[in-house]
Amino acid sequence: MSVLIDRRSRFIIQGVTGNVGRFSARDMREYGTTVVGGVSAARPEKEIEGIPVFPNVRAACAATGADATVIYVPAATALDHVVEAAESGIKLVVYPGDGLPVRDAIEMRAAAHANGATLIGPNTPGLISPGKAKAGFMPSFCYAPGALGVVSRSGSLSYEACFRLTSAGLGQTTVIGIGGDPIKGLSAGEALELLHADAETQVIVYLGEIGGGDEYDVAAYAERRDAKPVAALIVGRQAPKGKKMGHAAALISSHADTHSAKMAALIKAGVHAVGTVGKLVPAAAAALSDLPASRRKSA
Amino acid sequence: MLLTEFEGKRLLREAGIKVPDGTLISSAEALARRKLAYPVAVKAQVASGSRGKAGGVVRAATSAAARRAARCILGMRFGGETPAAVLVEPWLAIQREVYLSVTVDPAAEGYVLLYSPHGGADIEGGQPPLRYEIGPAHRFRSYRLREILATVEHDVVLREKVVALGRRLLELASSRDCVTVEINPLALLQDGSLVAADAKVVRDEYAAFRAADIQTAVHATHKREPKPIARALAGDLMLVWLDGEVGLISGGAGMTMATMDLVGDAGGRPACFLDCSANPTPGGYRLAFDLLDHEPKVRVILVSIFGGLTQMDRVARVMREIMQERKSRKPVVFRLNGTNAGRVEEIFAGSGLHNHTALEDAVAEAVAIARKGART
Repeated sequence: MSVLIDRRSRFIIQGVTGNVGRFSARDMREYGTTVVGGVSAARPEKEIEGIPVFPNVRAACAATGADATVIYVPAATALDHVVEAAESGIKLVVYPGDGLPVRDAIEMRAAAHANGATLIGPNTPGLISPGKAKAGFMPSFCYAPGALGVVSRSGSLSYEACFRLTSAGLGQTTVIGIGGDPIKGLSAGEALELLHADAETQVIVYLGEIGGGDEYDVAAYAERRDAKPVAALIVGRQAPKGKKMGHAAALISSHADTHSAKMAALIKAGVHAVGTVGKLVPAAAAALSDLPASRRKSA
Repeated sequence: MLLTEFEGKRLLREAGIKVPDGTLISSAEALARRKLAYPVAVKAQVASGSRGKAGGVVRAATSAAARRAARCILGMRFGGETPAAVLVEPWLAIQREVYLSVTVDPAAEGYVLLYSPHGGADIEGGQPPLRYEIGPAHRFRSYRLREILATVEHDVVLREKVVALGRRLLELASSRDCVTVEINPLALLQDGSLVAADAKVVRDEYAAFRAADIQTAVHATHKREPKPIARALAGDLMLVWLDGEVGLISGGAGMTMATMDLVGDAGGRPACFLDCSANPTPGGYRLAFDLLDHEPKVRVILVSIFGGLTQMDRVARVMREIMQERKSRKPVVFRLNGTNAGRVEEIFAGSGLHNHTALEDAVAEAVAIARKGART
């Protein structure tokens, strides 16, 4: 199994006529994802990359039975597109874009929830259930099917991390990019709940960084009696205090945001936490070895 | 982006919140020309906290004392920043100080309102403020806030004023794209009125496309940065200088930080955080090399990019071109991986460039070069 997406997911691409939308539609299809349509309000194309193009989400859903979308539009119009998708009955909305005003992120999240939809993003490469489907633009060769459920705040770091896990024979159920912004469509805690409930996910791998408080939600999960084993990589040990490191949330503003405070909290909660990407594979392997032998399957 | 107190108070005033009638003054001489009612408060205008404890707020009872205070403050530094002006305000006869703020908070899934019955300089040391988790702005309910305030605030008249003010702060935050609007202290005066004695307003830089005043402020802030940082920002690159010798050109914040950490593990020190992911174009990469080539402390440049949307065959071609035209002889170490990375080797073939397969190998080579440079 996997969470959020699999072979049955029927995707549309909003903003499919742009360069990124076109590239991603082709790339998602090549991976085996079911892409049933595209939406473009302003362009007259009837078809792109062999995919029918509709003037709005409602028309796309009616014609194709789509239940998921990836939205490639600039930040200025992102909120409108997310709301349109959620109110048209789409149940999984992925918005990868960055530079989104936080007020719009707040409204987006609320609109998704009000319509019973799950929002992934902003500021994420998306999510992938290896061997089944991908919703976003992560490099496909970094992933393979397996038993690890992965949650990441950073796109580029998740490529490197999953490339290493996959190369070491540790495949994944679903890799969820929750994004690096403070207000997320799907929070770290919510992503963990999804992976916790997934029967195929045996171990959870969390990829985090300095700044923000998501790592404390991971620690709180790991402390639960029924928690699955957790491995974590926290980057940013070399970052100075008070300087913004790219991501809107990657800023050490208080002691709790620091690398050492987060590592201490995770280790105390029983997480196999490491501070360098080179130690991630052993940490994930150690988490797998926490499982009782009866539940361990080949990863 | 944190505004100065004067800029923050201007926003508060526009939102109908009472602030002292202050004057922005850029020199002691300019202050002498003003007719003011004394005593006054002379306050450093910097975008940095703990100004009060550092001597940035002075009470002056006479014109001469105010001039002395202004001259002194304008020569001081606060968190590395020299104030461009002082704000001169009538000294307030404060009966009581409370704390009120509205800020974006992940746990609240939106905005949270914070209130403490004891405001002032030591807010961080005392009891944590009360939290009213609002979420999206339209979910504000004054009766919910009233219930929460009632647990600590027994002055009913004050409580009602705080409820009304809280709503205004929230409306200001959401309508003007503020991440934080903090009033500390919120001063209760003898006549029962509430005045924002200070203002800490953080605006959302990402909203610059729809707010001309944010755009202007962002440009002004960028211009005040040292030249290389200003150039990087103008080119959509994110540059933070660090103390080491290994210059990094990277893509994505997480990957950049992971590479910085590996440089540290290998016994080296990163010279910078330089994230090119917002501008992965020939122009962006040329600018990145130009910045590091001109920085004396950078002894070696490590290019570490794992591209998703950024297609690495294109990046490799750009790198090959830059290496051919570049004048600097600083060594460059490459580790390119990601989408279309399989074509990098053939693009580098014959150019003398080498692309490392493993990040650790690239880091080890860069650190070894930096150390060799240190010995010579």
